Amino acid sequence: MKKRKINAVKLGVFVLTGLVILVFALYTLGKNKTLFGSSLELKTRFRDVNGLLLGNNVRFSGIDVGSVQGIKILNDTIVEVTMTLEKRMRKYIRTNSLVSLGTDGLIGNRVINITAIGGSAPFVEGGEMLPSREELNTEKMLQTLYGTNENVGRITEELLQTVHLINTSTALSNLLNDKSLSTNLSGSLLHLHETSKNASILMKDAIATLQQAREGQGTLAVLLNDTTLATEIKQVVTQIQVLETSSQRLVSDVNQIVATLEKDVQQGDGTVNALLRDSLMAESLRATIENAEKGTAAFALNMEALKSNVLFRRYFKKQEKKARN
Amino acid sequence: MLYVPDNVKSFLTELGEIARFSTRFFREGFLPRFEWEEFFRQCYVVGYRSLPLVGLTAFIIGLVLTMQLRPTMVYYGVEVQIPAMVGIAIVREVGPILTALIFAGKIGSSIGAELGSMKVTEQIDAMEVSGTNPFKYLVVTRTLATMLMLPVLVILSDTISLFGAYLGVNLYETLTYPLFFKKVFDNLTYIDIIPAFIKTFFFGFAVGIIGCYKGYYCEKGTEGVGISANSSVVASSVAIFILDLIAVQISDMFQP
Repeated sequence: MKKRKINAVKLGVFVLTGLVILVFALYTLGKNKTLFGSSLELKTRFRDVNGLLLGNNVRFSGIDVGSVQGIKILNDTIVEVTMTLEKRMRKYIRTNSLVSLGTDGLIGNRVINITAIGGSAPFVEGGEMLPSREELNTEKMLQTLYGTNENVGRITEELLQTVHLINTSTALSNLLNDKSLSTNLSGSLLHLHETSKNASILMKDAIATLQQAREGQGTLAVLLNDTTLATEIKQVVTQIQVLETSSQRLVSDVNQIVATLEKDVQQGDGTVNALLRDSLMAESLRATIENAEKGTAAFALNMEALKSNVLFRRYFKKQEKKARN
Repeated sequence: MLYVPDNVKSFLTELGEIARFSTRFFREGFLPRFEWEEFFRQCYVVGYRSLPLVGLTAFIIGLVLTMQLRPTMVYYGVEVQIPAMVGIAIVREVGPILTALIFAGKIGSSIGAELGSMKVTEQIDAMEVSGTNPFKYLVVTRTLATMLMLPVLVILSDTISLFGAYLGVNLYETLTYPLFFKKVFDNLTYIDIIPAFIKTFFFGFAVGIIGCYKGYYCEKGTEGVGISANSSVVASSVAIFILDLIAVQISDMFQP
């Protein structure tokens, strides 16, 4: 009896499983195929889908997560592709993810790759239009590779010529065989090292000075920061310029006078000429000066006599008293 | 009078006998008293106990079908369509026909042999004498059981087969389980599932009724038991193919 009951249970489970699967399958078809999490629909646009077919895989981070549901030509340059993805991908795909066409292997089926580019864009909800990126075309890649190969060939040829020139050059050979070269070179390098060390010290000092100047310390800071000084310097310069102009004029006048005097001396005219060359004039001048000296002495004597005069004594005393105070 | 070869005459005679036997099944099968206990026991035997064999076969077929399809699909650059193609093949044809043939081999022969041995040992006659209707007890219960259990077996074998196909796809590429089933169901319609499901009732009926007929009218002693077991498998297998042909013709009329 017990065994028979167990058999009934097993039979019930068996039949029920079959019926559940059947209902599940029919329900899936009836619900427009959304029971397996395919309700996430995304769109993108390409210029050229390059042989993409309905049902081709859609990959996110290299994992197949959906398939191409529709391909529609919008106009002569835009093809709209509708993708159906697993529902769980809502948690991973952001609206700024890039869609690109790729190939499964080198010459395999076309696939759509969705690449996450990070950032804080919101996650997709379904129905969004994702930005697309032009694919890496194999043909273009091969063309570029061909060009690169040609360049490499040319470079190799030129390199060969250069190496040949280096190998056959006597100047270079002498240079390489010169044993003193290394000594000189090391000496030069030593000097260069010292120079650079000095330059470094110099730079340090300059930096320190500039630092001081920036902090408002030292003469340089005064020079750089004192605005009145700049005005004064400007004035001084202006005055120097004026002075220079006057000096030029003065020199010009002196030159003129000298030229006139030279002319007078050469022609025997004028007072200077008479002073320099006329002996009688000189004798007469000397006699005049002697007379003047004599006259001056006599005048001094007269003045002394005048001081003791009754009429003028009082006046002179008043003068002495004022001078003392 | 038109000359008819003996083998043709015997074939047509047997066909007529089976038709009469089937008529009796419908006439007596739906009249009380129902042998429920025997019916459920038969359901357990023909349905539940056939599942391991059917399941194993279905899994292997799903896996092998996928692996065999792959080179051609790759050659034409449509390997992405493997799930869709395998799904349609399994649901529409491979699942029902293969399960029915396995079922015919296992259950048809066992029914033929069981009823045949009961016949030759006069157990059926004894039942009649004791007042039990042997047709109701033996034939109706077994035929109803095969008729109702084969569709369930087909559904389960289709499912197992698709799991085998999923494994076959994943041997070469990485495809998630939901995506695989999405691809399968994207390409299936009601017209793929419903006719395939309905025809399995007929397959089950054919296996049951032919097995019962061969056993019920077994002759020639113990030798006849072997013959009835063997001929029930052969005849039910042929019947399955003929019914499948008819079912395809009918379902084709409903194809859009």
